[in-house]
Amino acid sequence: MHRWRWLIHIVLKSLAYRQGRTMLLLGVLAMAASLVTSLGIVSSAMGLRVAEEVRKYGANLVVLPAAARMEVGSGGLDFGTIAEPAYLSQEELLRVAGREGVTDCSLHLRGHLRSGGLEIPAEGVDFAVIRRLYPWWQLQGGWPDADEAVIGIDLAARLKLKAGDLIRASGTAGAGEFRVAGVVSTGGEEDKLLFIPLAKMQEALGVGSSVSQARLLAQTGGVTLEQRAARLQSLLSGSVVREVRQVARTSEGLLKKVQLLMALVTAVVLIAAASSVASTMSMTVLERGKEIGLLKAMGATRTGVLLLFCGEAVALGLIGGGVGYLLGSGIARFVMKTVFMVSAGIDLRFAGLSCAVSLCLALLGSAGPMMSVFRLDPVRSLRGE
Amino acid sequence: MVTDIIETRGLTRSYGEICALKPLDLLVPEGEWLSVMGHSGSGKSTLLNLLGGLDRPSGGSLQLGGEDLMTLSEDGLARFRREFVGIIFQQHHLVPYLTALENVMMAQYFHSVPDEAEACMALERVGLGKRLKNRPGELSGGEQQRVCIARAIINSPKLLLGDEPTGNLDHQNTGMVMELLKELRSEQQFTIILVTHNREVADWGDRIICLDDGALVREERAGR
Repeated sequence: MHRWRWLIHIVLKSLAYRQGRTMLLLGVLAMAASLVTSLGIVSSAMGLRVAEEVRKYGANLVVLPAAARMEVGSGGLDFGTIAEPAYLSQEELLRVAGREGVTDCSLHLRGHLRSGGLEIPAEGVDFAVIRRLYPWWQLQGGWPDADEAVIGIDLAARLKLKAGDLIRASGTAGAGEFRVAGVVSTGGEEDKLLFIPLAKMQEALGVGSSVSQARLLAQTGGVTLEQRAARLQSLLSGSVVREVRQVARTSEGLLKKVQLLMALVTAVVLIAAASSVASTMSMTVLERGKEIGLLKAMGATRTGVLLLFCGEAVALGLIGGGVGYLLGSGIARFVMKTVFMVSAGIDLRFAGLSCAVSLCLALLGSAGPMMSVFRLDPVRSLRGE
Repeated sequence: MVTDIIETRGLTRSYGEICALKPLDLLVPEGEWLSVMGHSGSGKSTLLNLLGGLDRPSGGSLQLGGEDLMTLSEDGLARFRREFVGIIFQQHHLVPYLTALENVMMAQYFHSVPDEAEACMALERVGLGKRLKNRPGELSGGEQQRVCIARAIINSPKLLLGDEPTGNLDHQNTGMVMELLKELRSEQQFTIILVTHNREVADWGDRIICLDDGALVREERAGR
C-alpha cells in the first residue's frame, strides 16, 4: 500500500474511533466556518444591495470644470466664489466614464436663454438619462420627445405655462421653439429651470459639444467613492470631481460600520473556536500518550508522529470547512431572504474561504498539543506518565 | 567466528541522585538468547530501554551492531529502532483502533512501505491467520501478545527485546509464546534479550544475567 494512502487510512480510522471527540471538533470547526461563510456572503451581497439602493438616489459624483469657480479672498477676508463660463468636453467625459466603471452619466449644459423679453435659466439635458438617474422627478404631463421641453413648476408659474404650451427661447447663437411636455416638481433648484434637449442647448449657446456639468453614478466596489472621485479627476483634465456627499457618506459609512461589526463578531468566534480546538486536542494528546510512545518505540521519528496528528487536523479542518460552507450558505440564504428580500446564489469563492478558515483553526488549535507530541519521551509515555 | 552484537563498557543510567544502572560491562554474541533477571527496581527495564535506543545512557559506552548509540541524534535513534530492533511489551501496547493486521502494517509503515501480504504471513506464522481483522479488544491476552510478536519481527530485526512478554499471560499461553519465540529465533537468527523475573521463562535462554539494585550480581548458563 502506498504510504500516503496508508496515512489517510490511519487518520480516518483514528478519527472514527474517537467519534465523540471528532464530532465535537467538527462541530466547533463547522460552526466557525459557517459563520465566516454566512457573514461573508451577507456582507458581500449587502454591499451590492446598498449599491442598488444608492442608485435610487441618483448620481453619486458630480464633475465641474475647474476654471468655473474661483475662491476670492485676501488676508483672512473671504469674498466668496466667482464663476465664469467654463466647459467640459463631452467626448472626453463619455470616454473616461465608459472606461472607469461609471454606470450612468448625465450631461448638463446650463445657461440663460431669453423668452418673451425675459432672461430665464435653462439647462440642456438628455431626458432618457434623467429618467433613469432621477426617478423621483414628478412630472405633470409626460416625458418629452425631440424638440420638447420640461419646465420647473416655479418657472412655469412665472411664465404662466402648462403642459402642451409652446415656448420660444433664444440664446447667443441660436433659437428654438419647444412644446412643454411636462412640468417638473422636485422641491429643489429644478423647479426654477427650463429643460431642453442637450444638443438644442449647445446649439443655442454656440458651445459645440461642451457641457457645464456631468453627474455620474459610479460603482464603488472595492474602493471608496472618494478614491473613485480622485481617480476620475486625475483622468479628466481641467475638472473637479466631487462626491454627492449626503448620499455617498451615509451609505458607505453605514456599510462599513456593519461590516466592521461583522468582522469583530467573526474574530471573537474564531478565537473561541481556536481555544476550544486547542483544549480538545490537548486532551486527545494526553489520552494518546501511550500510543505516541509506542509509535516512537517502533521507530517513528518525531516528524512522523507529528504527520499523523497534522493529518488528523487537516482532515478535521477540511471536513469542518465543507460542512461549514453548506451550513453557512443556508444561513446566508435565509438571512438574505428574510432581511433583504432577495435570494442569494451559490458563491463557490466562499467554499475555499470556509475550508481555509477551518483548516487554519484546526492547525492553529493543534499547534500547542503537537509541540508536546514532539517532546514526548517514549519510555515515560509507555509507562503512562 | 561469532561477533558481539552488543558491547557495553561502564554503562550507567542515573535519574538525578538515583543510579538505576551501575557501571555495566556486557558482551552479547550475535544470535544469543540472553535472559535478564532481577526483582522490581533492579534495573532490568532500564537496561532494556538503553539497549533498545529508547533511552540515553548517563555514562559509559554502548555499541550495538557496530553503531555507537551515544553519538546518535533523536532521529538517528529512531532510525536505529526501526531498522535494528523489535520490541515486545508486557502490556502489548497495540493501537486500539487498528485491526491485528493493521497493527503489524503500522510497523512496516514506519520502516518502509506497508505490505499487506507480508503482514498476513507474519500473523499466520504466529497462528493468527484467522484473526487478521480483529481489533485488540476482541483478542485474548495470548493472542494480543502474538500480534505484538508479529509486529516486532515484521521488519526482520537483528535484535528482539522482550520486556516481561509473558508477565500478563497464564501458564499455557506463556509456554506457547516462548515456544513461538524459540522457533522464530531458529528461523530468523536474531538475538533475543528478554527481561523477566520468572526463572522458568529465563531458562528458555542460552544465558542468564541477574541484576540487583542496578548492578550485575550473577551470570549463569540457562537450565533448559
